Amino acid sequence: MVEGMFILILIIPFALTIYISFLRWRANRPFEQAYLSGLRNYESVIADSGFWDSLGRTFYFAGAAVVFELIIGFFLALMVHQITRGRRFYITILLIPMMVVPVVAGYNFSMIYLDSGPLNQILAPGLNLFDINPRIRWLSNPIAAQWAIILADIWQWTSLTFLIFLSGFSALPPQLINAARVMGASRRQTFFWVELPLLKPAIVIAVVIRSMEALKMFDPVVLLTFGGPGTSTQTVAYYLWEQVWQFNKYSFGAAASIMLLIIFSVLIFFGIYLIGRQGKAIERGEA
Amino acid sequence: MSTDAKQALQIANRRRWRRTVVRHSILIGWGLIIMFPIFWMIQTSFKDAHEWVTWPPHWVPQDPTLKNYEQIFTFDVQQSGVAREATEQPFNIWGAVADSLIICTTSALIALFMGAFLAYGISRFNVGGGKFRHSVLIIRMIPPIVIAIPLLMYYAIMVPLASETVLGFRLSLFDTQFGMSLLYITITLPFVIWMMLSFIDEVPYTLEHAARIMGAGRLYTLRRVVLPLVASGMVVTFLFVFILNWAEFLLSLTLTHPDVSTLPVLLNKFQSASEGRLYGPQAAIGTVITIPVVVLGVLIQKHLIKGFSFGTIRK
Repeated sequence: MVEGMFILILIIPFALTIYISFLRWRANRPFEQAYLSGLRNYESVIADSGFWDSLGRTFYFAGAAVVFELIIGFFLALMVHQITRGRRFYITILLIPMMVVPVVAGYNFSMIYLDSGPLNQILAPGLNLFDINPRIRWLSNPIAAQWAIILADIWQWTSLTFLIFLSGFSALPPQLINAARVMGASRRQTFFWVELPLLKPAIVIAVVIRSMEALKMFDPVVLLTFGGPGTSTQTVAYYLWEQVWQFNKYSFGAAASIMLLIIFSVLIFFGIYLIGRQGKAIERGEA
Repeated sequence: MSTDAKQALQIANRRRWRRTVVRHSILIGWGLIIMFPIFWMIQTSFKDAHEWVTWPPHWVPQDPTLKNYEQIFTFDVQQSGVAREATEQPFNIWGAVADSLIICTTSALIALFMGAFLAYGISRFNVGGGKFRHSVLIIRMIPPIVIAIPLLMYYAIMVPLASETVLGFRLSLFDTQFGMSLLYITITLPFVIWMMLSFIDEVPYTLEHAARIMGAGRLYTLRRVVLPLVASGMVVTFLFVFILNWAEFLLSLTLTHPDVSTLPVLLNKFQSASEGRLYGPQAAIGTVITIPVVVLGVLIQKHLIKGFSFGTIRK
């Protein structure tokens, strides 16, 4: 029954998409009258700079966001691990962003980046010193808009890396750390030579899961910038959405999504291989 | 104790205290960063139209009003008539609330039912081999836009064409609650399997064995022995999947248009209104969507890690 459902929902649509990707078809003509055009759609996707630019941009966004999320999440987890009082309170607060609906998070940030928003108000005293008009339109500048989206992603998903690292910290065996301390290792040495290697599985899992999720980035782009200004914040998901749902280029979209699927499959299998290796290490009791 | 030792102890204590203060202030600082956007949304939802974009912005609404909430919750759109100003128009969100609730609840329930049995099979009989546990991850990692385009073709073209030739009338899954539920069941099933696996693995097999020896059938054992033990796990899984579906945006944006609309899609529609952005009602909808989910999430936060990390991390 379940296999049947996967076939119904996933396999048949993909077969249909592959078929459509060989057609020459846009929404201005009924589906039945479309004719085969061979690999032309794939050629136009490969030749399309918008597709490759948006793909590169997606990797740039994901990379930047994940690096910050890992660093901030790691230090927050370390802090929470080291304090004794109020731990549960901090965990509850720090996990809230993860539960906020991404669309709402995007909307919240769009209010904060307004030219008459609180961000400009906070920056105003500093900006006035340099005679800059404090009512900056952050989302109208390509680079600022890119970082606005990255920041929104960091705000929301640092809580996930925090959670993964926190459970990594609390799974550390105290005997090993005590042994290292007794044998004369300093606090810093214990951290770098005992705790960090033990945390490797958590780090790998956080990197893989967060990168795969960040590469899907779509909601904040729609809510904050609509891909603009120009094309500076179009992620690949947004680009395809625009091509298909705004410009009705169906067979182009089908070809592009098949290509995207191939590109992502490589990444996914690599990620699962990495996680699987860590999982085996956990089962063997190395971590 | 000599005075030297006392002094050393004092210095060590002071240093430890200072370190604690630094840690707490870093955590409180990040906590403030986290709460700020949420605080800003909630306070905007109580502002009247003229206060939405003032400079300098008001941190607390100067004349707080419930107008935004009245605007989105009114039932009688016809009676109040079309207002001249867009900021005074009533917006009925009840349709979207009903759609969201129906789609999320039914799909989470069915996914839970199917996933629980599957997880039981995987846990007890190792169905699908040891690799299965990792291969379920794949579905989660595929970007939704890649399946959105095939699904659009499938729902809007192939199903109507096929039903017309086979059944004689046009049947479409596009823009229906049924189509969305079917899709959500499929994409959340891996989550259900993962979470239920970790709960079922914790139930000792000896218990079931004892029941079987005493003459209980397989289904009876499942219902009277295993089910009560994993009931709380099932509630947690249900809530988690519900939250995921509730927040889903891309697929519901692309596969529904005029008739069905989930709440995140509705929130987005306010933005592209030709009158400019209606910050107040948007903030009110955002608050209405967010608060119940955050409350549910806090209730199950201990188990979130299982779902979000696909059981790769156990706590």
